[in-house]
Amino acid sequence: MNTTPAVVMDNGTGLTKLGFAGNDSPSFILPTAIATNEDSTRSRRTSPSYVIGEEALARADGQNYSLSYPIRHGQIENWDQMERFWESSIFKYLRCEPEDHRFLLTEPPLNAPENREMTAEIMFETFNCAGLYIAVQAVLALAASWTSPKVVGQPLTGTVIDSGDGVTHVIAVAEGYVIGSSIKHIPIAGRDITSFIQTMLRDRGEKDTSLRTAERIKQEYCYVCPDIVTEFKRYDQDVTRFKKYEAEQNAGKVVTVDVGYERFMAPEIFFSPEIATPDYLTPLPEVVDNVVQSSPIDVRKGLYKNIVLSGGSTMFKDFGRRLQRDVKHLVDQRLRQYEQQAGVKSSGVEVQVVSHKRQRSAVWFGGSLMAQTPEFKNYCYSKQDYDEYGPGIVRQFSLMNVG
Amino acid sequence: MSQELLEYHNVLLKSIFTEAIVDQQEPVKIDQVVSDFDNVMFHISTPESKTKILLSIVLKSWPDLEKYGAKELLKAEYEGFVTETEVGYNFSLLVDLENLPCSTLEDRTLLVDKLSLLKRNAMAAPFELAFQQFDEMSKEAQQFEIGSYTPTDAQTEVMAIKYRDEETIYIQPNWDRVTIIFSTGFKDETDQVLGKVFLQEFVDARRRALQNAPQVMFSKEPPLEVQRAGFNGQLRPDQSFITFVLFPQHIIPQRRERAISHIQTFRDYFHFHIKSSKAFVHSRMRHRTGEFLKVLNRAKPENLEKSTRKI
Amino acid sequence: MPVQHSVFNDFPDVRLIGNFAVLPLRTKYRGPAYQTSEYDIVDEVVDLFRVNSFFRNFEIKGAADRTLVYGILFVNECLNNLRQSPNHHQAQKTLNVLASDDFAIPGEPAFPLNGIYLAPAAGIEADTLRQYLSQFRQELAERLLSYVYALDTSAPSKNWMAFSRKRFMGLSLAAR
Repeated sequence: MNTTPAVVMDNGTGLTKLGFAGNDSPSFILPTAIATNEDSTRSRRTSPSYVIGEEALARADGQNYSLSYPIRHGQIENWDQMERFWESSIFKYLRCEPEDHRFLLTEPPLNAPENREMTAEIMFETFNCAGLYIAVQAVLALAASWTSPKVVGQPLTGTVIDSGDGVTHVIAVAEGYVIGSSIKHIPIAGRDITSFIQTMLRDRGEKDTSLRTAERIKQEYCYVCPDIVTEFKRYDQDVTRFKKYEAEQNAGKVVTVDVGYERFMAPEIFFSPEIATPDYLTPLPEVVDNVVQSSPIDVRKGLYKNIVLSGGSTMFKDFGRRLQRDVKHLVDQRLRQYEQQAGVKSSGVEVQVVSHKRQRSAVWFGGSLMAQTPEFKNYCYSKQDYDEYGPGIVRQFSLMNVG
Repeated sequence: MSQELLEYHNVLLKSIFTEAIVDQQEPVKIDQVVSDFDNVMFHISTPESKTKILLSIVLKSWPDLEKYGAKELLKAEYEGFVTETEVGYNFSLLVDLENLPCSTLEDRTLLVDKLSLLKRNAMAAPFELAFQQFDEMSKEAQQFEIGSYTPTDAQTEVMAIKYRDEETIYIQPNWDRVTIIFSTGFKDETDQVLGKVFLQEFVDARRRALQNAPQVMFSKEPPLEVQRAGFNGQLRPDQSFITFVLFPQHIIPQRRERAISHIQTFRDYFHFHIKSSKAFVHSRMRHRTGEFLKVLNRAKPENLEKSTRKI
Repeated sequence: MPVQHSVFNDFPDVRLIGNFAVLPLRTKYRGPAYQTSEYDIVDEVVDLFRVNSFFRNFEIKGAADRTLVYGILFVNECLNNLRQSPNHHQAQKTLNVLASDDFAIPGEPAFPLNGIYLAPAAGIEADTLRQYLSQFRQELAERLLSYVYALDTSAPSKNWMAFSRKRFMGLSLAAR
């Protein structure tokens, strides 16, 4: 049993990442969706059949299946569906006997202890898994950044910006513990960028303005620029900045879609949210600054020094650079004010945004790093522990110090 | 993937190879170690260049499988792809995307299917061998009067494949049947109970409706075949034996491939369904708890605030 | 990156009519504007039009901002008049008419933005403002066209035309 790698499962609101510890990337990335066939003609004694992931989305077009997303806003809402989702994940995708493997699961910050207990009940009682560790997503994202040459040592203090498809979180972590009171959520994430691109394509009257095309343009062509006014001028001077995307439509028809200002305007919505939504106006750098400022004063330096990016929507080229510049600007402004008022020269505050190669699945990768260490099994609770103490045991996990 | 059965192939291998071979997407760097049922691990990587995919497999039961011809079988099945075995693994294949032996879409799809069935094919060796011996013996038997043919002990040797720590598959060929026995055990008490119900159901179902199905027997005692294979008699209380008897109609050549695939996944399928049942029971329990809570909430006295104010 | 304001807000000694800044222009069209050879408000309007069109909120911080807002809204109106995709030559004619023909100035009932702009005193002031705006509009239209037809003189660039749908500050110069 010692040779079987631990299973790392990161169940997010939009996407689930599945894989084995020790790998650089998850084996499967699939939508956290499940389609169940609650056919009334079947007898009530038989369990409904179901499928998960992409297949669930495909099946849901038909009549017999109803689609549901068991996780809402990061929290598991429907335990029945989640249990089935896990079952399919383990047996059909990962193809492993849970009794042979330890499991590392992730949870959002401020997850209720009751949710942990429910998770443990399912993992141990349904699946008899060999061992279980539940880690906070933000902490794993910090661990993932240790692979970056910019990071010295293995700090467990830092500000995590986790931006997926649905929502962006800014979370301060001090010595491995999330500072709950300073968490901020931003209602702008990948989905909003895609729909922003879509609107721009429509305004320009492109031949294909499907969600899929917008999604691809986002992934292939978008980047963050330092200054949008100059960027517009650069497009006037240099025509090669306009790109062309070949969109495949139904029946293999290919149409050419021009790609223009959305290349830099779409990711700009993080920095000027106003251009995308009238309801939310605070730019991301300001939110980051607020989060750090609302944290205890003795950890602030560490939080500014280690701003870590995680999630697909932070992957735009130069996202980290722009963020670092803007946060630095806010910090310096405050310092100057302080210097004027106090008449003392400040030694300055270092602001560093860390980008790294594993950013897209940073949480999963952090989990993979932790679960592959020989110490991992000591931090897990085993099935024997569970049987002896009951579900309450998972309320507390000790923090992994992976040396 | 239907819910009813587990796939025979490895899903990850299939998706990686489909992207590389069928869809012919831009080659990418790959390096993944993944596990499969029954203590099997794959390592799929691109050590030299992105266009050369190395796939290695390590099986716990390899020493047994090798004894029954797994290596030769794999070499024949994957001719042209076999390469020097990677250190720490049992068998390796190298797929050169720039020099694929097939060009049509159909051929490429077939190749992908074949590659993703590596584990199944490795574990198929003893079954193939058993069927082969069955063929030979049944041919011999035709020259004898009914009932007067007895094959030699060597011909009906029981093959044991220790594929998990405490679980073994036994295969015994004979001239009129092939017997396959799983020794299986459950560590968890609930699983033991459910497992027993399931196994009894297997036995009964055949009696009731599925008369053409292979004969299934279920016992706590090791069957004779197992004892012959040198079973050491150390029986754990949770251990039991499931015997499948495949008669000639089950192993006509057209059905063999499927029979092997089905039998191989039996144990995992069985465990999968026990877990499915538990999940189902749990959801009923949650539903019931919810209902009880509703009743309890209705039982609360109304206008609690008013009454306290009076006091 | 927030919405952009006019750099001319900080310029000293700006001529005002009502609260509208009458800024120097680099132009061959005749009118009351002072001539300049440097970066002028028309350049700025063309530069900021695309950025600011994305925003709905804009706080007017100085008189030059009012000129900027007027310019941006006028560019939007120009683009809306090119919806039929005319070629460069036709477009020049269309916009020439639009720029110099009868248009409302602040204070007149037909002017849609009287909430932002003060009416000039009647008589000479109003006449000067009208002449300045005419000059400003013609110069702006001409320079805009040099961008919109930069690559292709047979039809307006769709990269620019896309902005015809946007409403800066939710406003429009077109009569309601």
